[in-house]
Amino acid sequence: MPHRWGMAVDLDRCTGCEACVTACHAENNIPTVGPEQAARGRAMHWIRVERYWEGDFPDVRLKFRPVMCQQCDAAPCEPVCPTYASHHTADGLNAQVYNRCIGTRYCANACPYNVRFFDFFNPQWPKPLHLQLNPDVSVREVGVMEKCTFCVQRISAVRTQAKAETREIKDGDIKPACAQACPAKALVFGDLNDPESEVSRLSRSPRGSKLLDDLGTLPKVTYLARPSDS
Amino acid sequence: MSKDSARRISAMNEDLLRPLVETSWRFWLLVAVLGSIVATGLGTWAYQMYRGFGMTGINMPIYWAFYITTFVFWIGISHAGTLISAILRLVNAGWRRPVTRCAEVITAFALMIGAMFPIIHLGRPWLFFWLMPYPNQRMIWPNFRSPLVWDFFAISTYLTGSLLFLLLPMIPDLALVRDKTTGWRHRVYGVLALGWQGTPKQWHRLESAMQIMAIAIIPVAVSVHTIVSFDFSMAPVPMWHSAIFGPYFVAGAIFSGIAALIIAMAALRKFLHLEEYLHPVHFQNLGKLMLMMSLLWTYFIFNERLTVWYGNASAEREVFLVTQRGSFAPLFWTMVACNFAIPFVILSIKKLRTITGCVIASFTVVIGMWLERFLIVVPSLGHKYLPYTWGHYRPRPVEIIIVASTFAAMVLLYVLFSKLVPIISIWELKVGEHFVADATPQEAAEHPLLKAHP
Amino acid sequence: MDRRDFIKLTAITGTSATLASCGNPEHQLIRFIPDDDLVPGVAEWKPSVCPLCSAGCGLSVRVMEADAEVVRNGERGLVKIAAAKKLEGQPDHPINQGGLCPRGQAAIQITYHPDRLTQPMTRSGARGSGEWKPITWDEAIAEIVSQLDQVAGEPAALAFLARPRRSRRLELATAFVRGFGAPAPITFELFGDEVLRRANAISFGRDQLPTYDLARSRYVIAFGADFLGTWNSPVAQNAGYGAMRQGHPQVRGTFVQVESRMSPTGANADEWVPVKPGTEGVLALGLAHVILKNNLRPDRGADRGAGAPGVNNVRGGGAPGLNDVRAGASIEGWSGGLTAYTPEQVEKISGIAAKRVERLARELAEHGPAVAIVGGPPLAQTNGLFTALAVNALNALLGTVGQPGGVSFMPQVSQPLAVSPKPFEGLATAKVLLIDDANPVFASPKAWKMRETLEKIPFIASFGSFIDDTSSLADLILPDHSFLESWTDGLPESGAAVAVANVAGPVMRPLHNTRATPDVLLDVAGKLKKPVTLPWKSFDEMLTSSMPEAAWATVQKQGWAEVTGPTPVARPALRAIAYAEPTFDGDAGQFPFHFLPYASQALYDGSLAHLPWLQELPDPLTSAMWSSWVEINPSTAQRLNIAQGDLVDVTSSQGTLRAPAIVSPGIAPDVIAMPVGQGHQTFTRYASNRGANPVSILAPVTEAETGALAWAATRVKIARAGDPDGSLIMFAGEMREHPHEHEVR
Repeated sequence: MPHRWGMAVDLDRCTGCEACVTACHAENNIPTVGPEQAARGRAMHWIRVERYWEGDFPDVRLKFRPVMCQQCDAAPCEPVCPTYASHHTADGLNAQVYNRCIGTRYCANACPYNVRFFDFFNPQWPKPLHLQLNPDVSVREVGVMEKCTFCVQRISAVRTQAKAETREIKDGDIKPACAQACPAKALVFGDLNDPESEVSRLSRSPRGSKLLDDLGTLPKVTYLARPSDS
Repeated sequence: MSKDSARRISAMNEDLLRPLVETSWRFWLLVAVLGSIVATGLGTWAYQMYRGFGMTGINMPIYWAFYITTFVFWIGISHAGTLISAILRLVNAGWRRPVTRCAEVITAFALMIGAMFPIIHLGRPWLFFWLMPYPNQRMIWPNFRSPLVWDFFAISTYLTGSLLFLLLPMIPDLALVRDKTTGWRHRVYGVLALGWQGTPKQWHRLESAMQIMAIAIIPVAVSVHTIVSFDFSMAPVPMWHSAIFGPYFVAGAIFSGIAALIIAMAALRKFLHLEEYLHPVHFQNLGKLMLMMSLLWTYFIFNERLTVWYGNASAEREVFLVTQRGSFAPLFWTMVACNFAIPFVILSIKKLRTITGCVIASFTVVIGMWLERFLIVVPSLGHKYLPYTWGHYRPRPVEIIIVASTFAAMVLLYVLFSKLVPIISIWELKVGEHFVADATPQEAAEHPLLKAHP
Repeated sequence: MDRRDFIKLTAITGTSATLASCGNPEHQLIRFIPDDDLVPGVAEWKPSVCPLCSAGCGLSVRVMEADAEVVRNGERGLVKIAAAKKLEGQPDHPINQGGLCPRGQAAIQITYHPDRLTQPMTRSGARGSGEWKPITWDEAIAEIVSQLDQVAGEPAALAFLARPRRSRRLELATAFVRGFGAPAPITFELFGDEVLRRANAISFGRDQLPTYDLARSRYVIAFGADFLGTWNSPVAQNAGYGAMRQGHPQVRGTFVQVESRMSPTGANADEWVPVKPGTEGVLALGLAHVILKNNLRPDRGADRGAGAPGVNNVRGGGAPGLNDVRAGASIEGWSGGLTAYTPEQVEKISGIAAKRVERLARELAEHGPAVAIVGGPPLAQTNGLFTALAVNALNALLGTVGQPGGVSFMPQVSQPLAVSPKPFEGLATAKVLLIDDANPVFASPKAWKMRETLEKIPFIASFGSFIDDTSSLADLILPDHSFLESWTDGLPESGAAVAVANVAGPVMRPLHNTRATPDVLLDVAGKLKKPVTLPWKSFDEMLTSSMPEAAWATVQKQGWAEVTGPTPVARPALRAIAYAEPTFDGDAGQFPFHFLPYASQALYDGSLAHLPWLQELPDPLTSAMWSSWVEINPSTAQRLNIAQGDLVDVTSSQGTLRAPAIVSPGIAPDVIAMPVGQGHQTFTRYASNRGANPVSILAPVTEAETGALAWAATRVKIARAGDPDGSLIMFAGEMREHPHEHEVR
């Protein structure tokens, strides 16, 4: 059976510390755009911690949730891409083929989660910052869209490893950078086709829900609510 | 044929061919000015490609803005021509005769300019050909599920059809130019005339080809702007995802097309001294048509906004409020004034429906329809489902220069065209003469051409 | 084509290909032979230690090949080096257990920073002019030796300024200056926890930061401590917090946060209790009063008797002495004074309704194990020690000291640190100053006149890797290796149940012409006219000798080892806690607002402002990036006609700063908060002249008993100073889910 990679985000564990955000930058060669570009709304964070105030002082709360590409089964970004740069892989990922992208940005408009980012300029890593770049992840040039890949390079590495050892991929073998970094273990990644996997178990939780579920995008990320939020 | 009629036909030849052979310094000045604006635009585009797309004001999440607005705008303008001309031909409206070619030319050029924008707006425009199917070793096709690929087919079909529709009735006139000129002009127009001799067989074939094209181009024209509307309505974006967009876009396109046509006609009338051929009645008739489209457009936008407001779905309500009352409100109400209030007042009062009145109304409509497209594209993208990712948009100089230069490009192409080809279809006008001469007395009395030439 | 033509053609094409690649260093053809053993494409994971804060998280560093530009024998070329690629938390480390905070992950950018100092330099212009002249290491060491030799007669003339870190590195520096005859290093940290350490010494006999067993707590009440963000051992605390919430089926721990400005930690609370600044301790005693008066005190003694495992039994280690601190015993000393803290009295002082105090107390008592945490702003008041003691007492009353789900202390093998509450006093007499990883010019109030003090010192040498506000005043720069290029160590004081010694070797070769500071000190010690004899030849030798062989073997493998040794434990001083009223600098009429500078989630105390990842990390509460800002309650903002982004002047008795406003509902109307981190005069291309530094306008008020800087005890006034200037950069578009509904309400 093919894998179907998914993630569960336990909002009750998440403390909003943003370790995942930096981990994602480090793993995926995401450039920092600098203050001028950030001021123009071009900062890139494949994963972000969204925050919403509720109520007013003193009865005020801050609700937050990490949002990354939801890797939808019925992804609105895929059919609209004229060049198949945004397409569905056999194991259910919404892949972005940077080399095939011509930068219509249509996928980003169609994405209800706004998790797709555009390279407005060629990325800059003043030397020797470039030495940090992850050789397993391509650096995107100006004019292409990029987004969370569920750290597809880590998935491939484990798949290759497992194949070499002639074994199946075990639950927990693969950890995207965000899940690996999370101090509170709020992010759990795994195979949704394996009913025994931790992510499957969590996705079945009564606390679970999908982000913007009513749009019918069939996301593979499940959010587990904080009991005190409901 | 009466003697009077023959005299008028000869005057017609002279008047309408004059621009082709006589060139004043004003013409060259105009071409130089427009040409330099267009060159600035092209240079700016090159600069944008060289420095990176970030030179625009586009940002996350407003990934489409000025360029796509202007794309839809020009595609809308293109509906003036071919569609209006085809309908008028089919219903055999006599007053169409001096109008059709001015209109069809608008279509051709507006489409060419409009079709540039999807390429200008690409992140990697040098790879624009990936939007088209072309044979390649790796068997990679474009994604036929993407409305952008539909766009490519729709626009290229429409452009081909419109060019044919423009060129077919040009053949007899090109032959006329061939016959009336000497030297290099004679040779060039000889080639362009495609061996037209005016035999009955040729006339018959031309008439049937025109008839077929007129019928065929109407569904194409309607489909083009419907497909352009699909660029928006296929995406799950608040207030884009709407069934009304197809007819709404088509109506808006014809609306803005008529406005563009009126402006073009008025300009030609003034600068090429074609008062003899373009009469107030032409403007009044087009004005009435534009009034009708204004009302239709108002009806559509009322429907669109009422249902959203009444439905009160949370994501759509935010877009509704930000356009209606929020930061986009000034633009929104300007649009309503430009597309409804001002044209309604000018065009529905007979005294105001003069050439000047129609031109004023047309200018407001052109502005209003550009704003309409802007207000469709930007507020929705800036206010999608997750408020944390909402954004603002301000155009940057490169976008403004490039968009402005396309207006100059339109005028430039129009000026050059009217320099090379009779902008009013001479042979059709002549056919009209015969028609007028043979008309019943009552019709003849009412016909303004007759009034003008007693 | 004959053979000659073929050879000619080949020669021509070959030459033109070579010529085409000239002129652009990227196309440089020279590739040097690498020094490292490398398997291309295969990652190696090496242990290291996070150097950024005292938490001491263990790192696992991903090392892979990279093309570095180098100059060898005068020729530029490329060479493959084994380069650190990513820092991850070490899965088996007792403190961070695989996790790592955003700051720790960004630490890799220190090594690869484009503005890192690459070689020794000496000042060539006037002091602070930023003009430097490269010199060789031999010249640099000769210079520092000669400067030290000049003051050899007056040993007190040497001062060493460092960050307070329990580490062998600081021990070596201490040995060096002591050997020279000078006083121990002056250590200063803005967000130091001296008050809490003192309180713990008084309450529990332990002069160190506490460790919380949050994973097994059922009720956590925190007083001001940003324990999930920047305070104490945040990664360990996050791990415990996650387990508290969802680690046990059916049981979900409750979390209450008491503070006057919502911290990233407070944003997680089930109940957020805004309290008047400086009165947190009163609330703690009020809770204690209710528990005692109503006899709600949980009978934890019975639990122990029933064999519930203590924290110390779980992870193997022992906390000798702690179990002797019977909760009951310690209460005897202070409960007498509690009668004053009736809920009504608490309401009057702290602003928390009496009913709420009663309810919270009952919840605390009923939902054991419960623990109270205190740290951060409440302890940075003039009555900080009172507050800390009050919360310690509450913990004792709750019976969870040294118990599962409670507070405990990590066994210690090192001596408590002596932190200098007023570093400028120690510097006043110095003639030669050595600075290691400290930036007091930035991190101390202007009123301390740190800059003026330093300017008077005849000779300053800095070991820092960057030119910052302080090292820009130096005469000599001896840049250190980065932590990834050298031996690093640390002896964390909290975050795990066992004593941990972190020691790790270099994971990559030095990129630049730098030298490890401990080795430089050893070198200098030997070259002095009157040499300072130190028992080690190199820093790694010192580290090796500091632990048993078995532990050393473990350390080399994993970067840390569990260590044992005598834990210094003092007798707890049992005494009644008398309410100390907080005092503030500035008259309440003239300066109506409390000013709260807080540690930024991204930039911490400003020492990380040079890392671009962190500059661009959206702030957890406001989503601001690359900015300084002033947080203002909406009602206050409306009253003063201040809108989001407007420039605001914040004025204390010490001066004025200007920054854009953020109107935030998570702050009390009489409090103005501002993140520390920006406002560096000089600190690389990413942080220089960006934003404002709230520390600069702090009044030099101190905690009454410890003398620590009371950084939350300054009052200010604010005024609108102008329209938005674009300096406030936000990542979020909107921070209400239904902004229109909120406006309507």
